[in-house]
Amino acid sequence: MLELRDVHGGYGKITILNGVSFAIPKASITTVIGPNGAGKSTVFKAIFGLLAIQSGQILLEGQDVTRQTPRQMIARGVTYVPQGRNVVPQLSVYHNLELGGITAPDQGKVKARIEQVMDQFPMLREFKDRKAVELSGGQQKQLEVARALLLDPKLILIDEPSIGLSPNLVQEVFRTLTRLRDQGVSVLMVEQNAKAALAMSDYGLVLELGQTRLHDRADKLLADPRVGQLFLGGHVAAADAAEGV
Amino acid sequence: MSQFLQVLLSGLATGAVYALVAIGFTLVWQAAQTVNFAQGEFVMLPAFFVLVGMNWLGLSFWISLLFGLAVSVLLLGLVFKKLVVEPILPHGGITLIIATMALGILLKESAKEFYGAEAQPFPALFPGDPINILGAAVSLRDLMNLAISLGVVMLLTLFLNRTRTGRCMQATAQNPGVAEILGVDVKRMVLYTFLINAALAALASFLITPVYLAKFSNGETLGLIAFIAAIVGGFNQIRGALVGGLLIGVLDNLTATYVTAQYRAALPLILLIAIILLRPQGIMGTSEGRTV
Repeated sequence: MLELRDVHGGYGKITILNGVSFAIPKASITTVIGPNGAGKSTVFKAIFGLLAIQSGQILLEGQDVTRQTPRQMIARGVTYVPQGRNVVPQLSVYHNLELGGITAPDQGKVKARIEQVMDQFPMLREFKDRKAVELSGGQQKQLEVARALLLDPKLILIDEPSIGLSPNLVQEVFRTLTRLRDQGVSVLMVEQNAKAALAMSDYGLVLELGQTRLHDRADKLLADPRVGQLFLGGHVAAADAAEGV
Repeated sequence: MSQFLQVLLSGLATGAVYALVAIGFTLVWQAAQTVNFAQGEFVMLPAFFVLVGMNWLGLSFWISLLFGLAVSVLLLGLVFKKLVVEPILPHGGITLIIATMALGILLKESAKEFYGAEAQPFPALFPGDPINILGAAVSLRDLMNLAISLGVVMLLTLFLNRTRTGRCMQATAQNPGVAEILGVDVKRMVLYTFLINAALAALASFLITPVYLAKFSNGETLGLIAFIAAIVGGFNQIRGALVGGLLIGVLDNLTATYVTAQYRAALPLILLIAIILLRPQGIMGTSEGRTV
């Protein structure tokens, strides 16, 4: 589905990715974990065309998509939900959803899709005329996820969906992602909440210093003592994040 | 009472034109996070473009207005964005602000050089004949200026809220990073903003120059007043700029009539100081957080 081959890249002269290689299969959830500064979010930016790639290759369904623009990636069925708050604050919930389909050539279909997505997220229908800024943090995240689904993506890149969400909302987002996986969508996720994220993932990927350290089935990574030491119980803030802090 | 109404209406008419220019400030601020200190000159120049059309190209007045609008949108919108904003903005907002100051001086001096330092008569769009409204003698020109300005602001607001392109422009202004990842053509939206700013400035120029006459130095006061109007109303809100413009227009007229005409030039500045002390985000504005 998606394959990275020895990708190097960064911001200006600063290199953050020092040869990232991995491949994720179709209809699977892969969680990327690693210490702060390992380049987790940067990998997403590289895939989505927001980062200068110095060398290496990114393939989507066998086609070279290295250095494509975000618009081109969207056209290829990839959407990206970055960390933090990513709504357009003064636009209504409905119009935020509409923006998720802004690149679609047939805007009539987008309207129908918005209705479907609001069926999946009834909260959004209830608040569709409210300004996005008036939603709670958890509701805004749901809006972002819903917006990312508007064009029926094949691959979703989702960065730290649990930040700022209460534990039951995190479960809600995870359930949504699992449902999407079952519908054939591939999910690539960065998550501090490593234990919980790996538990619902098919694969896990450990990044360190801009390189792939480990890449295996999620259950194997969960059982791997190196992972346990490094990321699950050790000095990384994963333990805090697992509590939803 | 009739005098008050007269003063109020003509103040609103002038204020509405200030508002057009002030809205330009807010649009450019939202799209490029910069202040265009050549904005006053952007209002001064279109009148000269019209005069060039009439006197040098022999076009009729109304065709010259269209010509002036087109040249303004092209030069003060497109060329300004491509030649000044795009290359300089990556070096920082402050750098660009200083560059626009330089541009203002360049435009002002060029107008003087090419067209002379004398004030040039500029045809009125509407007759100045007074009409009687509730006993107040109000000039048709004032009423038309008010109606046109408010109408254009309303159309602009409708465009921004009711069309997909307008909403994409809002998304670009409010959260450019998000607009980009959703596939909004951010560069194009920013360009639209600059084109709209130029068109608003041109319209303000056509409405106000019949009163002020076309003079190279017209931009000095106009730019300053509109800048203050935008701050007073709230720099990040279109309706704030509208309120600020109208307020300054009305207060200016009221002061001149009922207090003294001597200090009318000081009034916007006093208002500015008061607003900055009491409500720095402006009357309608919202405070903006900045991560440094």
